[in-house]
Amino acid sequence: MQSDPMTLTLFAPLFGAILAFLFPRAARALGLVAVLVTGGAVVWLARAVLAEGAVTLALGGWAPPLGISLRADGLSVAMLAMTAAVGLLVSLGALDALRDARQTRYFWPLWLLLLTGMNGVYLSTDIFNLYVMIEVIALAAVGLTVLSGTRAALRAGLEYMYASILGALLFLMGVGFVYLQLGRLDFAGLITAEPSGALSAALALMVVGLALKTALFPLHFWLPAAHANATAPASALLSGLVVKAALYIFLRLTTYMPLPDEVLVTLIGTLGAGAVIWGGIQALRAERLKLLVAWSTVVQIGLIFIAFARAGQVGLTESWKAAALLILAHGVAKAAMFLAAGRIKDEVGHDTIRELDKSAIRPTLAQFTFALAAISLIGLPPSLGFIGKWSLMEGAMAAGYWHWVGVTMIGTLLSVAYFSRVLAGFLRFDRVRAPLGEHQGWALADVAPLTLAVSAIGLGLLAAPILSFIELGYPFGAMP
Amino acid sequence: MTPDIIYGVTGIAVFAIGLVGALCAQDRLRRVLALKLASVGAGFVLVVAAWRAPPAAPDPVPHALVITGIVVMVSATAVALALIRRLQSLEAEDAE
Amino acid sequence: MIDPYVILDLLLGLAVVALAAAVLTVRDLFAAIVLFIVFGLLSALAWVRLAAPDVALAEAAIGTGLTGALLLKTLHHLRYVTGSLDRQAALSVTPVQPVPMAVIWVNAAFCGLVTLGLAAAFLGAPRNGPGFDALVAEAMPASGVEHPVTAVLLNFRAYDTLMEVVVLLAAVIAVWQIERGLSEAPAPALGEVWAGFARLVLPAIVVIGTYLLWVGAEAPGGAFQGGAVLAAVGLLLLLSRLYVPRPAHRGVARLGFVLGTGAFAAVALLVAGGGRVAFEYPLEHAKTLILLIEGVVTISIAITLAALFHGREPVALSASETRHDA
Repeated sequence: MQSDPMTLTLFAPLFGAILAFLFPRAARALGLVAVLVTGGAVVWLARAVLAEGAVTLALGGWAPPLGISLRADGLSVAMLAMTAAVGLLVSLGALDALRDARQTRYFWPLWLLLLTGMNGVYLSTDIFNLYVMIEVIALAAVGLTVLSGTRAALRAGLEYMYASILGALLFLMGVGFVYLQLGRLDFAGLITAEPSGALSAALALMVVGLALKTALFPLHFWLPAAHANATAPASALLSGLVVKAALYIFLRLTTYMPLPDEVLVTLIGTLGAGAVIWGGIQALRAERLKLLVAWSTVVQIGLIFIAFARAGQVGLTESWKAAALLILAHGVAKAAMFLAAGRIKDEVGHDTIRELDKSAIRPTLAQFTFALAAISLIGLPPSLGFIGKWSLMEGAMAAGYWHWVGVTMIGTLLSVAYFSRVLAGFLRFDRVRAPLGEHQGWALADVAPLTLAVSAIGLGLLAAPILSFIELGYPFGAMP
Repeated sequence: MTPDIIYGVTGIAVFAIGLVGALCAQDRLRRVLALKLASVGAGFVLVVAAWRAPPAAPDPVPHALVITGIVVMVSATAVALALIRRLQSLEAEDAE
Repeated sequence: MIDPYVILDLLLGLAVVALAAAVLTVRDLFAAIVLFIVFGLLSALAWVRLAAPDVALAEAAIGTGLTGALLLKTLHHLRYVTGSLDRQAALSVTPVQPVPMAVIWVNAAFCGLVTLGLAAAFLGAPRNGPGFDALVAEAMPASGVEHPVTAVLLNFRAYDTLMEVVVLLAAVIAVWQIERGLSEAPAPALGEVWAGFARLVLPAIVVIGTYLLWVGAEAPGGAFQGGAVLAAVGLLLLLSRLYVPRPAHRGVARLGFVLGTGAFAAVALLVAGGGRVAFEYPLEHAKTLILLIEGVVTISIAITLAALFHGREPVALSASETRHDA
C-alpha cells in the first residue's frame, strides 16, 4: 500500500469517524488521534507543495475530465492547515466543554465527517464533486448545530437545513448548466471556456447557492440563530470553519469562470457592504453574547466579499489574497471567540450582555481571550485581521474605489462599538452585589481558546510568509 | 420538437416551482416537499443534457450524477424530517 | 404528420408541471404527499423516455418510494402528537398564517422570471452537445464492467460515490442523534391479511433486490436501486412488527451503517501501491472488486435507508420519555 498526503488528508478523518461511531466509549481518543493524523498529513502535504509547487493526483488513474483529480496549491494547503489547526484546538476544547455522554458520542463522528467534507472541498477540482462535498458538510454541520437538543437549537437547525438544501440544489442546477454548455465538469474546462448564456446562468445559480451557504447578506437569515444556539465547540466549528468552505468555492469559481462584467463584482461588494452595516447594527442590539458573536460572523463574511470586490474586475487577480487573509484571520479568531464565549457562559451561568457586569464571577482568562480575539476581528495591529483589512483598503485606494474604503471604516467603527459593550461588562465592577470570586474560572479548558486568540494576533507578524505561501502553485495563475 | 426541449423546459419549470415553494411555504412539511420538487427539476436538466438524438446512446456520466443526487437528497430529506418530528413532539409537550 | 411520441412527451411534461404545482397548492397534506408520489413516478417515466432507465429506477425506488414512505411516516407522527390523528384532513402540521395575495403574486412572478431566464439559457446551449461519450466509450474496456453507468459510478467517478455513501452515513448518525429517546407514534398495525401478504412478498422482494444488484454490472440496476428494494424489506419488517429494533441491536446496526463506507474506502486505499493510486483497481481484478464493493454497499444502503425510516436510535426509554407510549 502506497500512501500520499492528499489521500491521507481525506481518509484519516473518514476512518476516524467510522471508528468513533463504532466504538462510542473510545470516541474521544479515536477522534483526537484522527485529527492529529490529519494534521500530520497536512504538514506532509505542505512540505510537498513547498518543494514542488502545486501537486495533483488523478484518483483511480482516470485523468480529468473523465475522472476526478485532487489538487493542492498554496491556497488549498493554507485552508487545510487552518482547518486542521483550528479543528485540533477546538477538539481539545471540546474534551472539557462536552461533559454529557450523549453529546460526546455524537460530536466526534459528526465532527470528523465534517472535517472529511471540508478537506474534500479544499482538494477538489471538479464541480460535481464539490456538490457532494458541500452536502457531506451540510449534514454533519446540521447534526452539530442541534447537538444541544434544545428547542431553539432544533428550530435553528431546521432553518439551517432548509437553507443548506436549497443552496446545494441551486449549485447542482448550476452544475447541470455547466455540463450542458461544456460537456465537462473539471476546473480546467471552466478556465478555457468562452463566455456564453448557459455559463452565465450557471454562475448565477452557483453564486446564489454559495451565498446562501456562506450566509451573505441578505441570505444570512439562518446563521445567527444556528451559530448562537449550538454548543460552544460546535459554534466554533460552524462559524470558524464551515462557512469558509462555501467562501473558498466562491473564490475559485468566480476566478475560473468567465465573469459577465464588473456589474456582478460591484453587486457582490454591495451585498458585502449591506452585511457589514446590517450585521453591525444587529450586533449592537444583540442581547446575548453568543448572538453578538454570531452577528459578527455575518459582518466578517460581508467584509470578505468586499475584499473580493475591492479593485473591480481588473483587480481580481490580486483581490483574492486580501480575501484569503481575512478568511484565515476570521477562522482562527472566531473559533477562539466562540470557545471563550462558551467558557464565560459556563462560568457565569448566563450570557446576557447587560448582566455581565453584575456577575461576581469573572472568568478572567476567558475574558482576556475574548478581548484578544476582538482585537483581531476589529482589525487592530499587529493581528492577522489587521493585515487582511489593510490589504483590502490598500487595493481599494490604489484602484480609486474610496466607497469600499469608507464602508470598511464604518464597519470597523461599528465593531469597536459592539465589542466595547462586552468588554465594558468585563471591566466594570461597580454593579456587583456579592463578594467577587477571586481567580474564578482558570481552567484547562481556557488553554485552547487562548492559544487560538494568541495565534490570531501573532500570525499577523507572519503575514509576509503566509502571503508568499498561498501564492505557491499559482492558485489563480496558469492552471496545468 | 424533440424530447430534450420538452423535458428541459419541464425540468426548469418544476425547479422554479420548487424554489418558490421553498421560499414561501409556511408549513414545515410542505417546504420539504418543495425542496424535493426542486431537486427533481435539477435532475431533469442533467438527464436532458445527457440525451442524444437516437440512435446515439446517452452520455452515462450525468446519469450517474443524478443517481448520486437522488441518494444525497433522500439523506437530507430524512434529516429534515427527523428534525420536524422531534420539534413537533417538543412543541406538543409545551402545549400540554 | 405529428409524431405520436411528441404528443406523449408534451402531455407527460405538462402533467409533471401541473402535479408539481398541485403538490404545493392542495390544502390537505396527505393529498399533497400522494400527489408528490404520482409526480415522482411520472418523472421517472419521463426519464425512461429520455433513455435513462437507471436514473428512473433510482428515482422511483428512492426519490419517490422511500421518500414517500418517510413523508407519510412523518405526517402520521405529527398528527399523532398534535392529537389530530382522527381528523381526516389535518390542513397542516404547523400553525399557518394566511399569506397575503400580493406575496403570492410576487412569488409567482419571480418563479416565472426564473423559468424564463433559465429556459432562455437552456435553449441557447448546444443540443446533443459535448459530453463524456467518447471518453467513456474509450475507457469502458478497462473499467471491468459492461454497463456504462456502473462503470462511471464505481470506477471513473468512484470517489464521488464513496462520498455519497458518506452522506448517507452522516444522515443516519444525525437522525439517530436528533430523535434519540423520542417515542414513536403507535403505527397503525397491519391487519391479518397484510401481515400474511408481507410474509408472502418478502422473499420475492429479496430476490428482486439481489437481481437488480447482480445485473448492475451489465444492465440497468445496481447498488443503489438494489439497496432501495432491499430497504423495502426492512420497511415491511418494521411495519408488520416482524422485526422490532432493540437497544441490544445497536452494535450490529452501527456496523451495518459503516460497512459500506468502510469497505469501499478500505478497498480504494488497499489497491494503491506499485505505481497505482487510490481507487485504481488492477484490471484483472476490477470486476471482482467492483462487485464486492457493490455487494457490501448494497447491504449497507439497505440497512441505512431502513434505519432512516425507523428514525430514532433504539435506546432504553427512561420513565419521563415513555409518556407518549401510554
